[in-house]
Amino acid sequence: MNHKPIDILLTGASGFLGHYILAELLVHPHVRCRVLLRNPVAENLARLERLLIDVGVNLPAMMANKRVTVVQGELPNSLGSLDVDGVDLIIHSAGNTAFNATGSGEPSRTNVDGTRAMLSLATNAGIRRFVYVSTAYVCGEQVGHLPEAFYPTMPPVRNNYERSKWEAEALVWNWSTSTRTATICRPSILFGDSQTGRATTAKGLHLVAKATEILARAANDGSEAHRHHIPLRILGRSDATCNVVPVDWAARQIATITLTSTTEPSVHHITNPDPPTHQEVKEWLEKYFDIAGGQFSDASWPLRDSNHYEDLFYSLGNICLDYFRNGLTFESQCSANIPAGKRLIDQEAFFQSISYAQATNWFRSPYKMNKADDLEQRSDAFSSKWYFESFLPRVVPRSAITRVSELTTIVRYTITGPEGGSWICRFDSGQLKETQAAPSALKPEFEFRLSHEDLVEIAAGRKPMQDIFLSGCAEILGNVEQAMKMVPIIGALLKEFPVTDVENSAVKC
Amino acid sequence: MLTETLTTEENVIEERVRILGRNRTLEGVLTYPTGRATCSVLIAGPHPFLGGDIRNNVVATLSKSLASQGAVVLTFNYGGVGRSEGGPTDWPAVMSEFWKHGTFKEEQGWAEDTDSAIFALRQWCASPPVLVGYSFGCWTIVNCLRKEKFQSIVLISPNHKQHMFTPLCICSAPLLLIHSDNDFTCSECETKAWFDSVREPKTRIQLPAGEHFFRGHEAEVASTVAKFLWPQDANSEA
Ligand SMILES: NC(=O)c1ccc[n+]([C@@H]2O[C@H](COP(=O)([O-])OP(=O)(O)OC[C@H]3O[C@@H](n4cnc5c(N)ncnc54)[C@H](OP(=O)(O)O)[C@@H]3O)[C@@H](O)[C@H]2O)c1
Repeated sequence: MNHKPIDILLTGASGFLGHYILAELLVHPHVRCRVLLRNPVAENLARLERLLIDVGVNLPAMMANKRVTVVQGELPNSLGSLDVDGVDLIIHSAGNTAFNATGSGEPSRTNVDGTRAMLSLATNAGIRRFVYVSTAYVCGEQVGHLPEAFYPTMPPVRNNYERSKWEAEALVWNWSTSTRTATICRPSILFGDSQTGRATTAKGLHLVAKATEILARAANDGSEAHRHHIPLRILGRSDATCNVVPVDWAARQIATITLTSTTEPSVHHITNPDPPTHQEVKEWLEKYFDIAGGQFSDASWPLRDSNHYEDLFYSLGNICLDYFRNGLTFESQCSANIPAGKRLIDQEAFFQSISYAQATNWFRSPYKMNKADDLEQRSDAFSSKWYFESFLPRVVPRSAITRVSELTTIVRYTITGPEGGSWICRFDSGQLKETQAAPSALKPEFEFRLSHEDLVEIAAGRKPMQDIFLSGCAEILGNVEQAMKMVPIIGALLKEFPVTDVENSAVKC
Repeated sequence: MLTETLTTEENVIEERVRILGRNRTLEGVLTYPTGRATCSVLIAGPHPFLGGDIRNNVVATLSKSLASQGAVVLTFNYGGVGRSEGGPTDWPAVMSEFWKHGTFKEEQGWAEDTDSAIFALRQWCASPPVLVGYSFGCWTIVNCLRKEKFQSIVLISPNHKQHMFTPLCICSAPLLLIHSDNDFTCSECETKAWFDSVREPKTRIQLPAGEHFFRGHEAEVASTVAKFLWPQDANSEA
């Protein structure tokens, strides 16, 4: 089907959700995007390029063939000289996610004044459709089954962020006329990519996981019995739910809604019809970090007479209260497309995203390394750790391995020598679900043991993996038969994604 | 069969050959003595997914060793391996089946490749060939057994638990089975029990080491095959 070309102005493209929206839009060949970046533009453009590499978009190529252009501006005041000539619609995803008011007037300044500025830009340029990225939690403290409709009066909000998002929604909704259409998309809490677990910032559930990691580390000093009896009051109810959605899924819904032509104003909940409960999240975290002992409590925040573990757990703030709410469900047309029996976030998705977070030191590294961090890893930076914790989790989801649907196993790689270590990779139905540095509770089906030098040779594609194993340079332990089948699978991955430019190193056998 | 000389060692010539298969051309290596040849040997190697190509340690050692003792030896790459054409088209799909069952439908194409290689060798040398299979190659050669005459059949580390070897009964050529005491594919007991069920004439030689891959024990495998092919030489040495 031939579509009419469509020009979209996207704000917030350099954000967590925004770059996924951009990637989803660019899947459609008839879409051209103008992205609003703040100053310093060159720096922000480079950051956007790195973000997009991870989701399979080659920004320079997209810019070369004019699928993406950059406009510079900042909300709310620096939009004056923006080139919006020919823009058909705006997706306004830029936002400030601070819950509480700051001295600079945030989050209201960006969310309310910024949205007002974007609407007036649209009006002046004769743009007839405006898609606003709001939040499902604009509902405030309301409970029950919430409709996909604009709330004409401001619900009892919990923080300044919710207030600002509702005020912005009101501006957008009232902008709609018989010739202008407002579309409001309300995602719930964004979580890691459904394929890779990838996220870019530790917010929401990731923050809870990070706090649990801190707790688990502290408990590590104690005995096994102690580890499983940590005195921790978890503020909240066990049956409360945490409405989280994978960021890529949310972005796809927003792109689909945007590209479906309409003249009716509408509101869309991009929410999880079967969100995990507090109890589930607690169990998943306990299993993942091998700790236990926390009890749900209705104590109020801030905790009086908190113990050492509670101080640690809540050192990142009151991580539970804001979005874990009971008695709340959302009407949602787009969640009707989720196949029956499939949960958007289940234990596996949760584990995958937490292990991604750990592998990237809670999103600080190495994905934010320079451009050479992409598939062309520079020799001086090559390390076994990088290869297993960063490179593989990033390339496997893009590789043909994902189509080896029967591939379900746990593999241990032991790299010998001073630069070595041990990593355990869990594959499920062709997906690399998690990679953990040893020691780990995961029980490998087989193990490959090889030297760092051989890993370098294999990774660079200079030596076939088969040769390393069949020549006896490397050892296979455990279920040799399955391990032998794994060799060609990894061999194919290495052909697909060789690590180029790796220094020659002597292969010791 | 088109040829190109690869190496000429002291008493052996190695030539790269192209074998015209049913619907694909296969890469092969023909190794033969500079002097008079006494027999022809076809070697079918391990599974392409498990390092099965003409460079395989057992395949390469055997072909040189047997050629140096007077055999014309043909080794070849299965479809999709090295410069051989073809091979499974949907790699992830077959890999998935292989992961689950250890075998998949398209493997039949590799048995057909073996048939093409036997046919090519027969064009080259009139005498009935010796068929040698190693690992997966055992199954591909057994699949090619028909009423035609073969001098003898050598199976090295067959995975009889994974594949069917029933066609063995069609052929009455003497059979040699070589296996090690610690093969991960089939235990010593399983192999003995399976061998007992196979028709005569047959000989079983168990090597005391080498696992499935015979790393470092390739020469023992080659000399065991040679003794079987040329028993008179073995006796005279003794
Ligand atoms: N994260 C969630 O769980 C969640 C849930 C529901 C709804 N949302 C909504 O989704 C949108 C994106 O959220 P996010 O989590 O992706 O946030 P984010 O990662 O912090 O990204 C925010 C984006 O907005 C841009 N931005 C912020 N202030 C700006 C200003 N004054 N002028 C121009 N651009 C500005 C940022 O640009 P820089 O890169 O230059 O900073 C960035 O591109 C927001 O509207 C948010 O309310 C988020």
